[in-house]
Amino acid sequence: MLFSSLSFLYYYFPCVVILYTLTPKAFKNAVLLLSSLAFYAWGEPQYVLIMLVSILFGYIFGILIQHFNEKKRLSKLFLCLSAITSLSALVYFKYADFFIENFSRATGISLNALNLVLPIGISFYTFQILSYTVDIYRGRCEAQKNPINLAVYITFFPQLIAGPIVRYSDIESQLTQRTHSIEKSNTGIKRFIAGLSKKVIFANTFGELCNLFNLSDDKSILFYWLFAFSYMLQIYFDFSGYSDMAIGLGNIFGFKLPENFHYPFCAKSITDFWRRWHISLGTWFRDYVYIPMGGSRCKSSKMFINIFTVWILTGLWHGAEWNFIVWGIYFAVLLCLEKFLFKKYIEKLKVLRHIYVIFFVTLSFVIFSAPSIREIFYHIKTMFGITELPFISPGFIYYLKSFGITLLLGGICSTPLLKIIKRKITSDSKEKIYVTVLENIIILMLLFICTAYLVDGSFNPFLYFRF
Amino acid sequence: MKTKLLNTVSCIIFAAVFLITGIICMFKPDTEFSESERRMLEKQPQVTFESIVSGEYMNNFESYCADQFPKRDIFRSLKAFFTTKILNQKDYNGLFMSEGHISKLDSKINPEMINHAAGKFKYIYEKYLEDTQSKVYFTVIPDKNYTLTAEKDYPSLDYNVFIEKCIEKIPFMQYINICDLLSADDYYKTDSHWRQENIRDIAQRIANTMETDISADYTQKTLDIPFYGVYAGQYPMKVKPDTIKYLTNNTLKKCKVTYYDNMGYSYKGNIYDLKKANENDPYELFLSGSQALIEIENMTAKTNKELVLFRDSYGSSLAPLLVSGYKKITLVDIRYIKSFALESYVNFDNCDVLFMYSTSLLNNSKSLN
Repeated sequence: MLFSSLSFLYYYFPCVVILYTLTPKAFKNAVLLLSSLAFYAWGEPQYVLIMLVSILFGYIFGILIQHFNEKKRLSKLFLCLSAITSLSALVYFKYADFFIENFSRATGISLNALNLVLPIGISFYTFQILSYTVDIYRGRCEAQKNPINLAVYITFFPQLIAGPIVRYSDIESQLTQRTHSIEKSNTGIKRFIAGLSKKVIFANTFGELCNLFNLSDDKSILFYWLFAFSYMLQIYFDFSGYSDMAIGLGNIFGFKLPENFHYPFCAKSITDFWRRWHISLGTWFRDYVYIPMGGSRCKSSKMFINIFTVWILTGLWHGAEWNFIVWGIYFAVLLCLEKFLFKKYIEKLKVLRHIYVIFFVTLSFVIFSAPSIREIFYHIKTMFGITELPFISPGFIYYLKSFGITLLLGGICSTPLLKIIKRKITSDSKEKIYVTVLENIIILMLLFICTAYLVDGSFNPFLYFRF
Repeated sequence: MKTKLLNTVSCIIFAAVFLITGIICMFKPDTEFSESERRMLEKQPQVTFESIVSGEYMNNFESYCADQFPKRDIFRSLKAFFTTKILNQKDYNGLFMSEGHISKLDSKINPEMINHAAGKFKYIYEKYLEDTQSKVYFTVIPDKNYTLTAEKDYPSLDYNVFIEKCIEKIPFMQYINICDLLSADDYYKTDSHWRQENIRDIAQRIANTMETDISADYTQKTLDIPFYGVYAGQYPMKVKPDTIKYLTNNTLKKCKVTYYDNMGYSYKGNIYDLKKANENDPYELFLSGSQALIEIENMTAKTNKELVLFRDSYGSSLAPLLVSGYKKITLVDIRYIKSFALESYVNFDNCDVLFMYSTSLLNNSKSLN
């Protein structure tokens, strides 16, 4: 089920909130678990079992790792078994066809693809289970004795299919002792609607523009640039909108989920960009791959290897395609260049550093969106005028005029400008009330507008939940 | 204190919106038909084990929710208003408003579809016409965006290229150009079709090319119902309705009209079906809308000439203007009858044959059989 669907907004969500509110505290987690399973089953009923088996393995191995904590060898063995069982499902469903295809291509031996459908959210819940068992092994948290509580942590529907990737240690106490309040619910519902608007009004509109570009016979250099910016904004609003909805829903049910985006297009460097973009994934790779490999506290050559390994894995995490691997390597190269060569110079450039970030991030999403390596080269060559396409075309002019205001608003909303303005106005306590009232009215209007978009049955894919 | 109260009030309002809308969604009786969109709305899907496991139930339920949403038309209008007036998007789901006309964006020539249509025409030509004395013509009716997008930023088909491609693929027929005779006012503002009262010059040029005399006087009549065309429902903003006018005379009134459906059953009717004028699509006034085969016998004809007209819905309003030049006109719509089955119904000997199709159909000709 998608958050941005009428069945979620006006059927599932009100029913779950009522049920949850009326249920006594002792059974609230059970209600959340059943609701989350229903939420997952609505999208892909046949894969609920795989998720439940993964949770069961996580539960058993968590207890075994803790039980044999004194015997490090046994404890490590169970950690390895936990990692193997969790990752094997992910590798099988996500990468089997990729390996088969490339093996066939490399050896000339023809093997039939398995054509597997990727279970929704498997990359997210696998990483949560892994972090849970690793943290128990490291002694950072206790194994959860109550299987329902552990299952709620893994399956909690707001973050189940597209993150943020929540660490068990972050919400361990909230699983049993969380508070509910009108204030939290109000903040949560407003955050949810804001995220819904990002997704429905911005991401879907930019997605529509990207589709129109792909269908157009009237391409030009500037049209390629327009596509690249639109795609970058689509991904941003799609994913950050989803994260906002997840965090907002978490608030309504008394949870505080971690932030996943912090105005990434305002980053001062590529390194800074990755501190602001998909924060929960970046920190996961940092804590569970990069640092255990030695991180930055080792020889330069080893650090290169560590950085490239982490970024190839990050690319692969996004999808079993070569373009994602190239995308990961691209960032590894940029991060290494910054780290070893020009970070200190970039920091001195006040405006140029933002242009530098936007430029390279835009190119990165061209790589991200390309269906093949050849397309990456063609796309980038065209953007720099090395193909036969004209500089400008009527198609570009039309779509720029048609989507110009949305692009401008999208650009503004991807910066903290509105937040800063609000803070300045509300610094005067008299104005605060009016601003809050106005904000509530706008949020309510946005809900109606989003509903109108959904009723109209417009373009509504979710990009990140397949990762 | 004030902030706390405000939070409580706002939380209650938001919760009430979700709850009340949810309750209305769940308990509102279903609507069967959308008059504005002229289509049947999705019904609640049947729950079966197979449909749940395959996910089909869930997909159908999403469509059901969107179709049966309370005050659906108001929400569609809200989206249209927001996208076109606030975000200033120049089209809404591929429809745009220009000079008071709603028109469709269509900028991509689909050579495969032109080939498909040409292949069907070639099949008909070789099977029924090649060895006869019949003269064969074809004409292409441009979409109204032909007139609305010129010198504006809207992307549109390159009609010259489109027609050149058609001529190249259909060399066995004589092409009749009518594009230069059309302006925006010759089409309804809310519909894709042309106005019968404005296309007499087109009928005249076609008749001249086919060496037929169609000089006749007509009385113009106006339907007293507002006409909201097919685009009016798809473009949910306030638009002024069109009026439908039709041209009639004694010749047309005395014609014997036989309609054949795609099962081969026939019934008698009139050129102008006033009953249909009061139904969902008043344009069906002209020769009763979608019909596989129609025979019009001119009972006052002074000639024995016959015309076979292969056509889409545009032909329904033009055909009556050609009646005075022929003893019999047979209208064939190969979207509703297979080309190989025409032998039993249509005489192709020694007659004029005209293929008259709109660009939108030729550019998306899958439906031609």
